[in-house]
Amino acid sequence: MSASTPKTLPTSGPKSILDICHPLSAEESVRTPSPDVGNTTGSIGEKDLSLPNGTPVDTSSPASSSSLLNRLQLDDDLDGETRDLFVTVDDPKKHVSTMETYITYRVSTKTTRVEFDLPEYSLRRRYQDFDWLRLKLEETQPTHLIPPLPEKFVMKGVVDRFSEEFVEVRRKALDKFLKRVADHPVLSFNEHFNVFLSAKDLNAYKKQGLALLTKMGESVKYVTGGYKLRGRPLEFAAMGDYLDVFTQKLGTIDRIAQRIIKEQTEYLVELREYGPVYSSWAGFEGSLQEPLEGVSGCVANCAGALEELTEDMSDDFLPVLKEYVLYIESMKTVLKKRDQVQAEYEGKLEAVAFRKEERTATPTDVEKCQDRAECFNADLKADWDRWQNNKRQDFRQLLTGTADKNIQYYEKCLAAWESIIPLLQDRQENTKTETS
Amino acid sequence: MMADTGSEEVAVIGNTDLTPGEIENNMKNTMGEKGTLLFRKMEINVAEAEKRTVKNAVNMQETYTVYLIETRPADAASEGTNPAPDSLWRRYSEFEILRNFLLVTYPHLVVPPLPEKRAEFVWHKLSADNMDPDFVERRRVGLENFLLRVASHPILSTDHVFFTFLTEEDGWKEMVFETGFQAKADSRLKALNATFRVKNPDKRFAEMKHYSDELQSVISQLLRVRARVADRLYGVYKVHGNYGRVFSEWSAIEKEMGDGLQSAGHHMDAYAASVDDILEEEEHYADQLKEYLFYTEALRAVCRKHELMQFELEMAAQDLSTKKQQQEELATGTVRTFSLKGMTSKLFGQETPEQREAKMKALEGQIQEDEDALKDKNTECDDFVRGAWLDIERFKDQKNHDLKEALISYAIMQISMCKKGIQVWTNAKECFNKM
Repeated sequence: MSASTPKTLPTSGPKSILDICHPLSAEESVRTPSPDVGNTTGSIGEKDLSLPNGTPVDTSSPASSSSLLNRLQLDDDLDGETRDLFVTVDDPKKHVSTMETYITYRVSTKTTRVEFDLPEYSLRRRYQDFDWLRLKLEETQPTHLIPPLPEKFVMKGVVDRFSEEFVEVRRKALDKFLKRVADHPVLSFNEHFNVFLSAKDLNAYKKQGLALLTKMGESVKYVTGGYKLRGRPLEFAAMGDYLDVFTQKLGTIDRIAQRIIKEQTEYLVELREYGPVYSSWAGFEGSLQEPLEGVSGCVANCAGALEELTEDMSDDFLPVLKEYVLYIESMKTVLKKRDQVQAEYEGKLEAVAFRKEERTATPTDVEKCQDRAECFNADLKADWDRWQNNKRQDFRQLLTGTADKNIQYYEKCLAAWESIIPLLQDRQENTKTETS
Repeated sequence: MMADTGSEEVAVIGNTDLTPGEIENNMKNTMGEKGTLLFRKMEINVAEAEKRTVKNAVNMQETYTVYLIETRPADAASEGTNPAPDSLWRRYSEFEILRNFLLVTYPHLVVPPLPEKRAEFVWHKLSADNMDPDFVERRRVGLENFLLRVASHPILSTDHVFFTFLTEEDGWKEMVFETGFQAKADSRLKALNATFRVKNPDKRFAEMKHYSDELQSVISQLLRVRARVADRLYGVYKVHGNYGRVFSEWSAIEKEMGDGLQSAGHHMDAYAASVDDILEEEEHYADQLKEYLFYTEALRAVCRKHELMQFELEMAAQDLSTKKQQQEELATGTVRTFSLKGMTSKLFGQETPEQREAKMKALEGQIQEDEDALKDKNTECDDFVRGAWLDIERFKDQKNHDLKEALISYAIMQISMCKKGIQVWTNAKECFNKM
């Protein structure tokens, strides 16, 4: 059993001074569940807006500075312990070989843990490797909730696997995955995780464990088929119910978000046609030329801001929802396993108690089962609480981030329109003094 | 461009050049001569709209809307007496009659347009139904605007038919028809649509006509696209309303997150609802554009009328010169122009000197008549050009001013919309933060 004895839980605590990034350095997504180190590449995609008269729009605003605060905000559950394992995924690169083309990501690790030979690592990994890791974690830690990976398969005709956007969305998800594992008091000590972070040649290591790999990830040690569950303890039943409803709501929110993106995209199409009409009008006017050009420029600016908002929604909002849906699916699987473990225990207990001939069970068997069941329940409960907490933070960040982006969008538009008012009004005063 | 190029080449017949200074002077004189504008003397309101149902000629129910026109001396309010206004009811068709009368009587003026008869350029939520209360309301405003435009026009405001339209409900229609304008209206319409070619078109008027065509085209396009933009904007806002419900449902299964989600949902509902007011305000902007869209027709009509006058002038001059040539031929005995008379006289024998004498006398008379007529026509054309150009300049200033105002108020609307958006999302964000 590879679940090592849990040490006193290192949780996400205050960062060490060296690792807190300057707020004005490259910004990262607002989705990470815990304060992280080494901000990833990519800054806020705010284009430089210029107004019709050439002055750049000032987009620093109360909203932007509060999103700053979001980033600096420390976790709710500080408990004074310093973290000793920091992981980052960044720097995607394309590799072209005769056989295939694929992307690798740099995985950087900083740690003081004795389980690692070195304090720092920097290796390149591809999606396959992450997939392998997750599989191993599921296999070897079946009583724990394993964080999800971004989707494996993408429709080749529909999505460009090598587009900057797609790669960035994937990178963020992979980064989050590793961070969640690194944060976990048990999973972070998993030997496969260690190897993933530190081994130069991961493929060699993978081949070792090939013989033991099964498709469904069910550990050989967990053969529990055939037992029927009598009654589910309330708290686990409640978990199942919660997950069912939550999945539903997430699905609805996903549909709504996609619909909004669609409507915004169509709105954008119309705006891009609308602005130029003012321009062509300006082309044959005299004193109305400047005001009309001004309005045309404004509309163009608003269209640009809208485009950014929609892109952000696509890139940041939808993937998180999808992630949680996948998370919940794997959690439900774990819940089922728990049921099976419990059923096996109860079944064997019954067999021993009534000396049924169909099942061979010894008292020691039963004890083992009981242990297993109790451990499972304990692990699951701890993980559940942790998951609920992280979920709360994730969604708080996700939704406040969305609100922020909308605020920024309106602020950009506001600035554009406010800037042409003096332009329009000045000319008004001038025409009074002109003869024609 | 229109204002800047001024007049360069003028047509051969009749046009005189007016310098900007002279134009300014004329305008001032006009106002002085005709007294203060009616606009200043009288308060005019289209206060209400009402539905009426009557049985028409074929005994069928007919429903139409009537509008209440209220008038009151302008100084009444300032004196503090505040007497009750005089009022009468008019329906849209009567407004149309008034306008047609003005068009026919003042062909050299850019006559203000009426609000649209049927709702056009609508975005989907807005009703295209003429009986729809919102449409009726916007029409009421448009009709009032029409009356105010006419009342503030230096020449139109002095028209007696207009005055009685405002003040005498009964018998006005009969009075107008008695002027015989209807016949003129029909021929005017025919003439405007006729095709003819002017040999020496006036550059100023040609440019003005071209401008009015371009303006008509661009405003139509603008209104069409704006309606589509409104449609899309509506969609975006309304879909956000769905968040309200799902957040509420979600909050039911949450403990600490529940309150924040629930109240955020309410803000999303408010956001979705806010678009109705936003788009209603924007309709006002669309109406302002529409007025100028319809104005282009009036502008074009003036240019066409001038073209027609010039054509007739050219024809008349042509006619005169032909007759003069005939005169010459008769006098000298040479036949240069082909005429049937000439041929037949060749075939059937020369005419007698007496006959020739009679002919020449008749021709002389005709030529004299034609010369007088041509002189009159020339004067008419000159007056037309003077008056038209004055009014066009007045119209141009009005247009530039009004459209600038419209753009300003549009920008202000957009600013208000942005501020509301910021408010709602800030509120929602506060709720999310409490999750």
